[in-house]
Amino acid sequence: MYTKLSMLNFFVVGNIKMHTSSKQLKKDFIKKWVKGLEICCSSNKKMDVMERKKKIKLCADIALASAKNATTSWSNALIYNAKKDDENAILVDNLLGPESRFNSQRTAHQMITFHKRVRSKRILKKSCTVSQRMKKASPPASNLATCIAKRLVKKRTQVLKKLVPGGEAMDEYSLIKEALDYILSLRVQVDVMRSLANATEVLD
Amino acid sequence: MSSRRSRQSSNGASRITDDQIIQLLSKLQQLVPEIRNRRSNKASASKVLQETCNYVRSLHREVDDLSDRLSHLLSTIDAESPEASIIQSLIM
Repeated sequence: MYTKLSMLNFFVVGNIKMHTSSKQLKKDFIKKWVKGLEICCSSNKKMDVMERKKKIKLCADIALASAKNATTSWSNALIYNAKKDDENAILVDNLLGPESRFNSQRTAHQMITFHKRVRSKRILKKSCTVSQRMKKASPPASNLATCIAKRLVKKRTQVLKKLVPGGEAMDEYSLIKEALDYILSLRVQVDVMRSLANATEVLD
Repeated sequence: MSSRRSRQSSNGASRITDDQIIQLLSKLQQLVPEIRNRRSNKASASKVLQETCNYVRSLHREVDDLSDRLSHLLSTIDAESPEASIIQSLIM
């Protein structure tokens, strides 16, 4: 196992300009991904291409989320969502291993409480809007641009919420913070996967 | 986001100001390649969010394509060749 990892590290961890936390994430990701691929792919060598691809991708996603060590919401949500799929639940548990910090009860609780809060806010808003509508006059032209800008931002935020795992359960501020970390982590994932693909191509 | 009111965070105890959000947005702007090249105060919030969404989507696509590529590469390896044993020992 040690020599395998050192070979992969040789191919992959070459970027000197990388921030130290990204470098650490890369190392943790490689370790977990390789371990996961062994668990997934070694049992059945006659897998068809689509199935192998799904396993490779699942291993990569779980490895990335697990490498965050439960320090971010998106990683917890990713694991939580992966476990919801009955087919994968056991495999995910195997991939995470016994030392995983992921707490499914806590993540589930967080998601449910957030949805409850959103619902009660919506009910409150509805009861207020009726009286507000009576008082409002039509807005002057100078506010129209602000109105449109606000609507655009709201629309884009909704889209981003769907892209970041667990985004629907986050407020604006957390969403942007999580998106920042998510992007950095995704880049690590892409770098490693690309290096392995290139190395495999050369050896083919 | 363009309003001047400060926002309450989910735990209610601390108030998130617009300035904090603006700071986060500028950090996001540094990360996303499409808008990184512009001068920092020129990109609006909606533009930053839009390009962020596009970037995340493209990263997702890359991961998907790379998984596909890896799957094809691994399945076309000639089982007898010495290279195959290297790859196989690496990840299988």
